[in-house]
Amino acid sequence: MTANRSEVVWGQLAAHAAARGDRVGVADVCAVAARSAGLSGAWVAAARDGEPDFAMYVTDQVCERLVELQLTLGEGPCHDVLASAAPVLAADLDDAESAGRWPAFTREARGHGAGAVFAFPLIVGAIRAGVMGLYRRSAGPLRDGRLGDLLILADVATLLLLDSVGGGAAAVDGDGGRLDGQSPDLALHRAEIDQATGMLTVQLGVSITEAFVRIRAYAYSEDLRLRDVASDIVARRLRLDPDPAPDAGS
Amino acid sequence: MDADLLTDTLVELADTMVADFDVIDFLHLLTHRSVALLSASAAGVMLADPRGELRVAASSNEAAGLLELFQIQNDQGPCLDCFRTGQPVTATDLAGLGQRWPRFAAAATQSGFQAVEALPMRLREQVIGALNLFRADPGPLDPAELRVGQALADVATIGLLHERNVRRSDTVAEQLQRALNSRVVIEQAKGKLAERLGMDMDRAFTLLRDYARNSNQRLTDVARNFVNSATSDFPPPPRRIG
Repeated sequence: MTANRSEVVWGQLAAHAAARGDRVGVADVCAVAARSAGLSGAWVAAARDGEPDFAMYVTDQVCERLVELQLTLGEGPCHDVLASAAPVLAADLDDAESAGRWPAFTREARGHGAGAVFAFPLIVGAIRAGVMGLYRRSAGPLRDGRLGDLLILADVATLLLLDSVGGGAAAVDGDGGRLDGQSPDLALHRAEIDQATGMLTVQLGVSITEAFVRIRAYAYSEDLRLRDVASDIVARRLRLDPDPAPDAGS
Repeated sequence: MDADLLTDTLVELADTMVADFDVIDFLHLLTHRSVALLSASAAGVMLADPRGELRVAASSNEAAGLLELFQIQNDQGPCLDCFRTGQPVTATDLAGLGQRWPRFAAAATQSGFQAVEALPMRLREQVIGALNLFRADPGPLDPAELRVGQALADVATIGLLHERNVRRSDTVAEQLQRALNSRVVIEQAKGKLAERLGMDMDRAFTLLRDYARNSNQRLTDVARNFVNSATSDFPPPPRRIG
């Protein structure tokens, strides 16, 4: 296990975005994910009503077909990951387990040239932002150590998706990496941040997704660390006021 | 040591095939029984995140000091060494001189702990986490208690991975992800309930867990439904389990 893998991954993302002359976005996440894991393509799709929706970004046509197939057929790895809150690693779409689990999808997906599909839920606890999918033309498991990097990339994609649904109110620049001045996985998993987000649903009368957008936007606009804001909310030293954000009620 | 409680605990930890099994409730039981059975004043379970870090999955109390300890352990400490080596690690005098982990020792003593045991949760070659026992008094843990502590960690490991087998061929990493996300859902629910009822996080957790048990639901499902409920009434109005 390598310490600070997220810094390495963030470096790759930043370099990829800089080469495009833009800030880090889902395009960079998809490209870096596919390349670093030695896979053929990657996509990111937002969730709507708890189910994966159309893709926001795909690296190639096969990805697009895989997304459409799952939407049309109503089955596939991407559907399962949001329900189970865990990745689905279908290393061989030809094997009996995959075929038994998604009979129609596996048949069609193989016809489009996919041998393996790996799907990651883009979630923070009860928040369902979307899914990240990857495929390889040939069957075979992820190489050792790649899973951790893909989970880190999924965390980044989660923040980027939530920022995009947060719209103007979040004012997050689309630059997920600098939101908290620290790697996003730290920001995502500390107990106090999760507790504070839950508290904000009541204080602000908003959904958990909106609460998460709001606490991060507050930290960003006040130039504070997210964990410090969370700590103050949990200790009841800080309350956020409900104010009518442009897109309130999402 | 309370032999009846030990027997009950081993039976309960082995019983992971029940329909309403919940991984966080299960690990919570492990930490509480570790405190009740052994000379420990607090206990915590850390699980390996495939991202390359250890994460707190359960602790016997919500004291911020304990959680801080765990976080500091991400940099240094017996738990991390235990996890890296797969071997038990003991610190018997955290207030003494010449500490192997000076920052950890300082934080631990500040929180009132003088000694700590870190016991590996290991399946063959793979270390999936560690059980940590924090003690208020310095000195070694009684060898018999140490063996019981390791037995609890072993039974819990088997229980965790056994539960995994129920769900197709998930890898250990997939199961750990699910467990860690459950932890997040429960923290979100604790926050919402604590704010709604003006109580602390410990009480909010107890309320959530008791309701889950009394209604034969999984703790994580109760927490998720409550977090996603449009109202902050608890228990939440009936709703599709998502």
